[in-house]
Order: sequence, then C-alpha cells, then structure tokens
Amino acid sequence: MTRINTLPRADAGTSKQVRSSTALEGPLLGAFLLPTNLMNSPTPAIALESVSKRFGSKTIVHDMTFSVEKGEIVGFLGPNGAGKTTTMRMIAGFTTASSGRVTVAGFDMATRNEEAARRLGYMPEHPPVYDTLDVTQYLTFVARVKGVARNEVRAEIDRVATACRLESVLRREIYKLSKGYRQRVGLAQALLGKPEVLLLDEPTAGLDPGQIQETREVIRSFGEQHAVLLSTHILPEVTLICQRVAIINQGRLLAIDTPASLQRASEQTSRVLLTASAPGDALQTELLSIPGVIAVTTRPVPGIEGMLNAECQTDTREGVEAAIARAVAGRWNLHRLERQQPTLENIFLRYVSQAPAEARAPA
Amino acid sequence: MNRVIAVYQKELLVYFRSPIAYFVVAVFLVGTGYFFTYNMFLSGSASMDETFRNMGILILTLLPLVSMRLFSGEYSGRTMELLMTLPLKTWEIVLGKFLGAVTILLLMTAGTFIDLVPLYLFGNPQTTTIIAGYIGFILLGMACLAVGQFFSALTQNQIVAALIAVPVLLSFWFIGHLQNFQVSHTLRGLFAYLSFALHYANFVQGLIRSEAVMFYLIVSAIALTLNAGYLQWRR
Repeated sequence: MTRINTLPRADAGTSKQVRSSTALEGPLLGAFLLPTNLMNSPTPAIALESVSKRFGSKTIVHDMTFSVEKGEIVGFLGPNGAGKTTTMRMIAGFTTASSGRVTVAGFDMATRNEEAARRLGYMPEHPPVYDTLDVTQYLTFVARVKGVARNEVRAEIDRVATACRLESVLRREIYKLSKGYRQRVGLAQALLGKPEVLLLDEPTAGLDPGQIQETREVIRSFGEQHAVLLSTHILPEVTLICQRVAIINQGRLLAIDTPASLQRASEQTSRVLLTASAPGDALQTELLSIPGVIAVTTRPVPGIEGMLNAECQTDTREGVEAAIARAVAGRWNLHRLERQQPTLENIFLRYVSQAPAEARAPA
Repeated sequence: MNRVIAVYQKELLVYFRSPIAYFVVAVFLVGTGYFFTYNMFLSGSASMDETFRNMGILILTLLPLVSMRLFSGEYSGRTMELLMTLPLKTWEIVLGKFLGAVTILLLMTAGTFIDLVPLYLFGNPQTTTIIAGYIGFILLGMACLAVGQFFSALTQNQIVAALIAVPVLLSFWFIGHLQNFQVSHTLRGLFAYLSFALHYANFVQGLIRSEAVMFYLIVSAIALTLNAGYLQWRR
C-alpha cells in the first residue's frame, strides 16, 4: 500500500530545472519566465512538498508531501491537535511554511500569494463572519474583494445562497443566526467567485443531520469540477464524499489513499460470521479444516433448537468465505454468511495509535 | 483600488452598526460644545482658537476608542483569517481600515460646524484661521488614528489597544514641554519636532506650514507602514 504518497515527480523535477536555469541564458531562460502553471500540465490544484511548520522549538507539521488534483475531494483525517488546521492555514496562506513549498493552482504561496488566493475558497474552522452585518452585506464584501464584477455580485450571492440554503436569511444580521446558519454563511463565502480550490475546515461541525446532508451535497457537486480538501473527524463523512483520505497524526502524514485501498491494506485478519443448523463440535472441526481459517467460536442461536452462530477469524487470502460457504452448505443448512470489513474507524485508530517512526516505515 | 474600497465600505458598515462610533461622536460633540460655549459666552472670545486647543486634547483621548477595534476586533471575532486569506495585500487592508476610521473623524469634524453659526452671528472671526485650524485638527486626528490602528494590530483585546494608544498619544502631545528642561540644542529641537501640540499650535494660529503638514503625514505613514509590516511578519 502507499503509506506516503509522493507528488507527481515530473512537476517537482521541472520546477527544480527551472530554478537552476536562473544562471543560464538561452531557451531555458524563456522557460523561467513562464508561470509554473503553464509549464506543467496538469498542475495539481494543491501541492505540498516537504512542508514543515515550527512555532519556536515546537514542530507542528513535519515534512508533509501530498497533492490534490482537480475534480477530486480529499478528506483530511486526524485527531484533535494533529496539525490539520495548521496545514489548512498554510495552504490558505494565513501562515507561511517554515520550510518546504506550498502551491495552489501552480502558484507558490510564499511568492505568488495573491494569485493563489484568487483561486482559493477557504472556510476556516470558526466561520469568519462579521456579527453586526447582515448576510448580504457580508457576502457582498467578500465577493467584491474576490474581484466579482459589481453588476454580477447580486447574481453570485444568489447562486451561493441557493447552494447553501440561505435565501431566507439574506437580510438578517449574522449575530441573530443559529450555529448551523453561521456555518453555512462561512461555506457560502468560500464558494463565492467560483474558486478552483476549496479548503474546508470541518464544514459540517455543529450542523443538524438534515443540514449535514445538504452541505455534503453542496461539497460533492462542487468537487466534480474543482479540487476540495476537507478536514473532519466525522469518519463516515469521508467514506461518503471523499475520493481519497489523508490520515495525519502528530503533524505527520501517515497514509493517503482511497478509502477502499486503505480498507484492503489494513485487513491483516478479517471475520466471517455464519448461521447454520449443525452440531457444534462437527461444525467447528469442519471450519478449522478449511485453509485460511485461524479460529472459530460457536454460540447457539437463542430460542432455535440446533441452530448455531459461528464466528471465524480468517487470514486475508482470496475466496476464504466461499470455501467456508461450500464446506458448510455441503453438509448442513447454511442460513447466513457475512464477511465483516474493517471500518474506516478501525483503520484510523490503528494508524493514529502507531508510533510515528513505525508508521513511516515502508509497508 | 476596488479592494481598498471594499474594505473601506465594510469598515464603515461595521462602525455604524456598533454603538462605539455613536458614543465617541456624541461625547466629542458634547465636549466640544461645552468648551465652545465656555470660551465664547463666558470668556467672551469670539474665535475658535481656544476651542481648537481643547478639541486637540479631546480627540487624543477619544480617537483610540475609534481605532481600537480595527484589528483587535478582527482577531477576537476570528475574521482576521478571512482577511489574510482573501486576495488582499496587507497594505490594502491597512489603508481601507484607516480610511474608514478617518471618515468617522471627518463626521466628528463636520459636527462641530454647528459652533460656527453663533460665532459668525455674534462675532467677526477670521475664516482663513478657522480653515487652517480645521486642517490641523484633521491632520492631527489622522496621525492619532494611524498610531491607534497600529496598536490595535498588536493585541486581541480592544481595551488594551486603547489603553496603550492613549498614553502614547498624550506623550507625543506633551513631549514639547521637555524642551524647557534641556540645555542641548539638538534635544530641544528634537522634542519640539516630535510634539503633536507645537505643530498643532501653528494651525490654530492660522498658519499652514508645510513642515507641520508633512510631520502629521509622516507620522501617519510610519504608523501605517509599521502596521502593514507587522501583519506581513505575523503570517
């Protein structure tokens, strides 16, 4: 499995070549003058190259490298204090990286901050709203700063208000809004100006189940054409809307992959549950004789004479559940057979409970 | 420039939706009205000179209440994260906010025009002196706001921002008196140059000296530059 995802090296290689060309003359110098986003195609929407952040002697983010492509929703998963918000803030340009390079749509956050900021919608953890303004005044301010033309501001606000279901509160002062609405105002400002890249720091925190559903739909539809990086500690959210998951802990990237690959890779053992009408000892012996079955426990089904629930610990070889099904169904009545997948929760807990050094070792 | 205007308009909206701006304008106008009435009707002087001097001290203590929320309010309201991640240069934020605060200063100034009615009715004041006085007052106010805005960027607490700005501004006002205790010519010159009060006195007397105009503009520019530099450094 891919523990640490590396950037498309062509990109990094080109940028190195470009940097070294400053001392040269001729055609390479021409390449140096081209913006990075024209030279490398396709440019990752967000790219972090060996990014670290230190506050004094404390390192919050260690040597983080990953990228998010256009049309992709990546979930950023980690316990509280893992460095999610700091990483988000570095990508958004609120703080600068102590070392390494952050680019948004090909623009370096350290040197081309403004161009990058124009392509970015950022929703911080706490909705950055002015309490005394009403929703329209607030969104107008953000739209104007983002360069939305004066005659298009109204239409743009209507667009994001519809997407975030804010139509009914557009004229209400923000301090009068519930937490859920404030959160959605924060999301709406991030969507203004149709940014290429959307950074969302816990976008569904504090919402009720209906609102969570709606917000996920907004993110999902936005993510079809844009790049979205969202941080969360709600695990089902990640499996529902993200194409890839990045797991971080103590400022280090532990894994980045699709939820399915993470699930596959973390299956060192799995469980097969079955219900059959069979004598206990014979069933146990039969199951243990199947290659791949490590251990079996049986329990009678309460209230039904002669029926047993069995739980088999198996290794991860292919077709073990089919072999179990054949063996049991050949001799007795098999009523139910189910393979239990490890949940993302288990995978996540396994990663974050590992020591950093161990987690970084190649799998 | 569009972005500076957007920040400016947002600042004005925030000002007019908070009680502090109304409170400061009201206290200033009541105070100025009192000094004017005292000077005009009790001392019998039909000029604005004395009133301008009182107004100078008054804004020194009141303008930090206008400037204190400019950045402290953004920190405590967690909106700084928005400002710093929007496509805004730090100088655009600083300038937009400064212009918003200067607008409040201009409103305060306009409010004192009411005092001119009895002045022109009962006396024969020199219009040019009054105009010079108002120019000096606005320049002094701009310098106070710029200094106050810089201190506001240093702390999350609005009260602390005001509590630092007031004594600093008062020191700049009274520093001129130190020259009386100095024998060194250079130090005397320096204290005189740094004095907010001595430059202001020129305007009150009806003199618009380029040196005095430049002094207030330079103080404002230095404070605003430090402000923008600090925000950039803070990233």
